[in-house]
Amino acid sequence: MIRNIITLTLNDLAIACKNKTVYLVLFIPLFVFVSLNLVDQKDGAVKQVRLGLIGQEHYSPVIIESIEAADAVFAVSWLADETEGRAWLKEKKIDGLLLRSEQDPQRVELLVPTRASFQTLAIVEGLSAMQLASDGESGNWISAIKPLQNVAVQKQALPTWVLMLVLLVSCIIIPGQVAEEKEKKLLLGLLQTPMRESEWLLAKLASGMILIYLAVLFLHLLGSYDPGNLLSYGAFIGVGSFCFCSFGILLGFLCRSQASARTLGIIFYLPLLLPSALADVSQKLNRVAPFLPSYQFYGPVNAILLEGGSVENFSPELAYLLFVGIAALSAAYRLMKERWLM
Amino acid sequence: MLIEVEGLTKVYREERGLLPTSFTAERGELIAVIGHNGAGKSTLMKMLAGWLLPDNGEVLVDGITLKDRTALVRKVGFVPETPSLFDFFSVEYNFRLFARLFRIPRVRIEETLRDFDLLPYRHNKIRVLSKGLKQRASIGRSLLADPPVLLFDEPTSGLDFDMTNEIYRLLRSTHASGKTILFTSHRPEEIRSLATRVLLLHQGRLVFDGPPRDYFRSTIHGDLYV
Repeated sequence: MIRNIITLTLNDLAIACKNKTVYLVLFIPLFVFVSLNLVDQKDGAVKQVRLGLIGQEHYSPVIIESIEAADAVFAVSWLADETEGRAWLKEKKIDGLLLRSEQDPQRVELLVPTRASFQTLAIVEGLSAMQLASDGESGNWISAIKPLQNVAVQKQALPTWVLMLVLLVSCIIIPGQVAEEKEKKLLLGLLQTPMRESEWLLAKLASGMILIYLAVLFLHLLGSYDPGNLLSYGAFIGVGSFCFCSFGILLGFLCRSQASARTLGIIFYLPLLLPSALADVSQKLNRVAPFLPSYQFYGPVNAILLEGGSVENFSPELAYLLFVGIAALSAAYRLMKERWLM
Repeated sequence: MLIEVEGLTKVYREERGLLPTSFTAERGELIAVIGHNGAGKSTLMKMLAGWLLPDNGEVLVDGITLKDRTALVRKVGFVPETPSLFDFFSVEYNFRLFARLFRIPRVRIEETLRDFDLLPYRHNKIRVLSKGLKQRASIGRSLLADPPVLLFDEPTSGLDFDMTNEIYRLLRSTHASGKTILFTSHRPEEIRSLATRVLLLHQGRLVFDGPPRDYFRSTIHGDLYV
């Protein structure tokens, strides 16, 4: 009995090696370790924070002198009025905007894109340190921290959930489907018809995009979330799902079996999801994330949903996603033409 | 000449596959492609069906080359060893799907279901069918577009006696309707009772091409199989 159990266990382990499941066992701890190192900022080397000040505003002179003296910590931009300041915040030209407090003229209100970000933390820490150095009181120069858009906490998490849905369909479901059709020779069977390779690819792409649209729609219906600028939002979901579904199809073509495709999908799912979703809370991740297509999708979706952004402000991101999608789809087409691992 | 194969080659990493092979086939022939495992039979069939891309050589079926796949699929039907049907859908759904891709009228689906005695199973999912019924559905599917050439890869592999005879009956009736058929086989009785011609592949080379009677009289059968 024990001999059989050992034999079968070894067989299962051999299968895990063969279908690449074992890579997950190695990859996930490695990925978590690297991510934690990126999130944890032990060196304290916070980059300069970009702070906006209103030219016409009558700030407390102590605060302004301290901020201007701390040029290693703050890069100050003087702006004409609050409207311009809000526009700069939306366009991410500054990390925070200081407004004179209405209740206490000696204090300031901090306006930020989101409260939970490392930039907000850096501004608060910097101002607190300067206040202590300046007048040694335990009070706070900042009377309130206000987000640019006053949205509920639930909605603040919405862009992350949307990114998760998009990546779930494109990195897990689509590669599995493609690999299954290859593994069971269904794709070769379909190629025994006058159907063209490009037609099959576009159909697979369309089905993935429809699934993503349905999932996002369902999420909005369940939570009654306002999508903001619907046209911009729909356009970004469309371009994002095109990019990631194309990538998912390519992943499916790189694998011989469903099990391999799912494993490979997870290997790409986590690094695409986490750095983008956590970029706001880590300076290091914030530097790495822009290289990922997921961040180029997440950033604009976040801005459209939470800050009332519009698609025309995100042309580079749109072009980047389209480029990655077209490149992935072209590679998948090439592999299909070559009957790769079929 | 319905089929012309010229210097068709496919070599895998392990140096197995098909070395340059040439032959022709006339309309109405029933050709058994035989040989040991790894001789190159399935490789030949898959290349003729467009499932595999050859390293070299050319195939013409009724004047259409392998490169013109979308035209060639109307000339060549392929029945693989394992049916390539969507097993989570019904027989009828699979037929409809392929008929739509071929732009075939629905009446042809009914004809095929009737011809292959699949009417009682039309709503059954492929995965619940017996192996013989799956094979019948697979043959029916490949005949939907009524191609003049049919390729069978090990059509009776794993079938019991009754199902094997059923497949023989289908092969004969399909051949009698004027189709040109190539099938791979290991079974001498299958070759004797069905084939009008034998192609013997050995280690990727075509080593015999002639009628079954000559094949069984020659020393080559004895040398390789007995």
